[in-house]
Amino acid sequence: MDATETTEQAVARTLAEAADLRSAYPRVLRLMAEGLGWAFAAAWEPGSDGAPPLRCVASWWEDPTYDPFEGVTCSLALAAGEGLPGRVWETGQPDWIVDVTRDQNFPRARVAKTVGLRTALCFPARSVRGVVAVVELFDTSPREPDVELLRTLTGLGDQMGLAIERRRAEEAAHIGERRNRAMLAAALDAVIAIDHRGRILDFNPAAERTFGYEAGAVIGEDMADLIVPPSLRERHRAGLARFLATGDGPVLDRRVELIGMRADGSEFPLELTITRIDLPGPPTFTGYVRDITERKHQEAELRASRARMVQAADEARRRLERDLHDGAQQRLVGLALDLRLARSRMDSAPDEAARLLEEATDELAAATRELRELARGIHPAVLTEGGLEPALRTLVTRAALPTVLTVAAAVRHAPPIEVTAYFTVAEALTNVARYAEATEVEVELSYDNGSLIVEVRDDGRGGADAAGGTGLRGLADRVAALDGRLDIHSPPGEGTVVRAEIPCAS
Amino acid sequence: MRIVLPLAGGEPNPRGSVLPLGRERRSDDNAGVRTVLIVDDHDGFRHRARRLLEAEGWDVLGEACDASEALRAAAELKPEVVLLDVHLPDVSGLYLAQALSGDAAVVLTSSRDASDFADRLSGSGACGFVPKAELSGDALDALLP
Repeated sequence: MDATETTEQAVARTLAEAADLRSAYPRVLRLMAEGLGWAFAAAWEPGSDGAPPLRCVASWWEDPTYDPFEGVTCSLALAAGEGLPGRVWETGQPDWIVDVTRDQNFPRARVAKTVGLRTALCFPARSVRGVVAVVELFDTSPREPDVELLRTLTGLGDQMGLAIERRRAEEAAHIGERRNRAMLAAALDAVIAIDHRGRILDFNPAAERTFGYEAGAVIGEDMADLIVPPSLRERHRAGLARFLATGDGPVLDRRVELIGMRADGSEFPLELTITRIDLPGPPTFTGYVRDITERKHQEAELRASRARMVQAADEARRRLERDLHDGAQQRLVGLALDLRLARSRMDSAPDEAARLLEEATDELAAATRELRELARGIHPAVLTEGGLEPALRTLVTRAALPTVLTVAAAVRHAPPIEVTAYFTVAEALTNVARYAEATEVEVELSYDNGSLIVEVRDDGRGGADAAGGTGLRGLADRVAALDGRLDIHSPPGEGTVVRAEIPCAS
Repeated sequence: MRIVLPLAGGEPNPRGSVLPLGRERRSDDNAGVRTVLIVDDHDGFRHRARRLLEAEGWDVLGEACDASEALRAAAELKPEVVLLDVHLPDVSGLYLAQALSGDAAVVLTSSRDASDFADRLSGSGACGFVPKAELSGDALDALLP
């Protein structure tokens, strides 16, 4: 067996055993240079994107004479076609230069001459993606091209190409794995993976937060025991068993709402999607879980507030009917009776008839007054005609207590905003008159950050309960329906501030 | 017995919305002064009803402002007619009519319209219904059995 064959076998063995070509390069370069009698060896690879410039990634030499040559080699970045490595990269064919110091396309010619290197050969390492690296060998004496040697080295180059490709694939897989880990760690949803027996394989940080367990404590444990409420456990296990037996998984790949259980035993509503991970071997599953307690709460509050508004509207209608019936309608009934009696007395007792007509006129005036009051309570005409500022001015002059009105700017707003602001003040003033024992009231309209601010402040006894009377509750619903908020600040003994903030940006 | 309620846009009712609840039967044999008890919680109405009916020759024996007073007064005064408000503070006039109708002719009244009570008037034992605004001696007379 000659030196070439021995070298070929040694290099092939090294490559086959190498876990990582980067660490195998020095040994491979040494085996080639020593075995074939060359003085200096270097390997070149492109950047991580697989494209030039090429850079020297490993080199081997024994004689310190060549240190300067190594220094220059390591400092170079060669484009495709540039220098010996660039040429071989571009053509994909091995090359041989008998005297590099005379070569027109050899940037290291001067330092080669200085250290005494003359002949160079270079061959590509190829994979299915083409050339992935090139290797060059240098020697001191001029050597004529050896076609057989080049063929052998090109064969070795292809083995190196495979090794490089293998390393790239492993790196890519490693990066993918790291990326998946990072995504799981940053996910807002709880992500839990289980095997076919229901044992936890993966439990991300969001799952730790959601369920109150540490991943380290639950990996390998039975998931159902930990996070499925006892009442649902059998169903869960039966579903898993059925899928394993029949492949029938009705909950797979769609959104379902269930109840989960935290480490402290408390239960909460959750939203879940389960996906089967398609890998060889027994099936594994990934669940994406979201705690929807807050959403459920908001939905319930929205439903309750809608129901309250409907109820309030119905109640207002009933009250209106009662007010009409007890007030104006009774007056008109009385009026009808008075008039009928007056007519019957017109001839027989004209004086009495005249007195009855007088009474009827008073009754009519009272009915008219009551109807006007009622109509104003339903919706004040001045609000439609003149807007919030004049409507509030009228309201304030009719208030039971001395009331000061301050309006930042008399601007018109959409009817729902004006009506809500008006009734906030009206309701607050009614409450002040009824409960507050105040001596004076301030009503202020201002603007802040695209919102209309309505404030009613009194110097009464405070202690008003926002959750109390239906009036305030109804107002809060109204304001909330306009995306605003109603706050009541009423410390005992310090008066009350009712403050509505209603978005009005136009 | 079937009660046909006056409908808007239907045949005009010759007596407006005055509604007989029993078989219509004019009694001419009893043409003397009629006696009546007025039951209503509303002072103003009682006062006006009394004035009106008296002006038309009726004998108003008394007034009552709730059901218990009405029962007492009816037993004591024995009126021929009880003019009874449907809405009383203690018991509904519809129930009270049943209790009173054995001894007197009960005419229900209200500031609401007969149609507001659906078919509940007919089962009350009253012989008729007159809206308050249309009250008169003649209107009552027309409803009596």
